[in-house]
Amino acid sequence: MCEWCEKYGDGYERWYFNPANYARRLYKIRKEEAEALGAEADPQAAGGMAFVGHDFLEARERGDVATVEQIKQQVEGISWITHFGQVLTLEEALKIVDIMYPIGLMTCACRRSMQGLPDEENFTCMGMGTGMYKWERWPDTYRGGVHFLTPDESKEVLAKLNKRGLVHTVFTFGTPYLAGLCNCDYPDCSAIRTVVDLGIRVLWKGHYVAKIDPELCNGCASCVHRCQFRALSFSPSKNKAIIDQFQCFGCGLCATECDQDAITLVERANLPALANVW
Amino acid sequence: MLPTVTVDDQKCADPLSCRKCLLICPTHVLGLGTDVPIKKFRETDPEHFIVRGVRVDKCTGCLDCVKVCPQNAIQVSFSGGGAR
Repeated sequence: MCEWCEKYGDGYERWYFNPANYARRLYKIRKEEAEALGAEADPQAAGGMAFVGHDFLEARERGDVATVEQIKQQVEGISWITHFGQVLTLEEALKIVDIMYPIGLMTCACRRSMQGLPDEENFTCMGMGTGMYKWERWPDTYRGGVHFLTPDESKEVLAKLNKRGLVHTVFTFGTPYLAGLCNCDYPDCSAIRTVVDLGIRVLWKGHYVAKIDPELCNGCASCVHRCQFRALSFSPSKNKAIIDQFQCFGCGLCATECDQDAITLVERANLPALANVW
Repeated sequence: MLPTVTVDDQKCADPLSCRKCLLICPTHVLGLGTDVPIKKFRETDPEHFIVRGVRVDKCTGCLDCVKVCPQNAIQVSFSGGGAR
C-alpha cells in the first residue's frame, strides 16, 4: 500500500477511490492579499511549468550531491503537500469518473508551456469537482473554455486518449484534494519529465507493474512506443519486448496495445522488492 | 556543461503564436511561461508570454533555436566556448 492510501484511503482500496478526497470547502471568501500572494508564489507560471530551477541543474552539473539531495527533498516536500500526481491504469481512471462530478475537459498547461500548443488541439486535461464551476474566474488557466462531460462522455474521452498513447494520472491541488485527471506523455508533461529526467518524485508510480509473458509475446514490438517511462524496450536476440519492472510506472499502456494479451499488470504490493518502489 | 540561454523579450513579442523555437528544439529545452502572475477574469496578454531555457541540462548547443527565430531573439552560449 502506498503512503497516500495509508494516510487518505480511509478503508477504500486506493486513496483516489475515497470520495472524501474529491471534496473540499471551496466556497470560502478569500482575502485579496492571500490571493495575490498565491499567484505571485506560483513559480511554475514564470518557469515554463518546471518544478526545479537552474540552481538544481547547476548543482547536478558540478556534482554537488548534498545540494542536489537538499533541493530534491525540498521540492518533493512542497509538491507532496500542494500538487503532485500518481499514475493510474485506464480501469482506475474509468472508475474515478463514476465517483467524481462534474468533470470538465480543459486545455493542458504543460503542453502549452512546452509546445505553445493552440488550445483547440490541447484538450486532454480533465478538471474534477465543484472547483470547475469557477472556471470563468480564471480565463488564463482555462484558455479555450471548459467542456463539461457526462460520466459516459468522460469514459469515451479517456479511452480515446489511452488509444492515442497518453498516461492517465491523478493530481492533487492541496493534498489530499484530488482535482486533476490528466493524460500525459514524455517530454511535454512536466511531471513525467521531472521524475524521469531528474528523479524528483512529483509523480508517483501506480499500484501495478507490467509483466510480459514470453510465451505469448510474438515480438511485434507494437507495445514499445507506448512506454513514456523508458521501462520498455525490445530485445533483438530474444525477439521479444522486455520490461524493466523497477522503472515501470504501471500505467498499462503497453498492455492495452498488445493484441496477444502477453502483457499483464500485477500488483506492486505482491512483489517484495517493488512494493515500496514508488 | 550547462549553457546560458538568453531570450530578448522585446524582440520576442508573441511566442505563443510563433512557437518556432519550442517546436524545433530536439531535446525540448525551452519553456513558455509568463512574466506576470495569472489574473482573475482576464487572459494574459500575448506580450507577457516569455520563452526561457528551462531544462538547460538537455541543451546540446545545436543552435537550431537561434537559427529558427525570425526575430533573432535567442542566444545560446557555453562559457567553455564552442557555441555562440
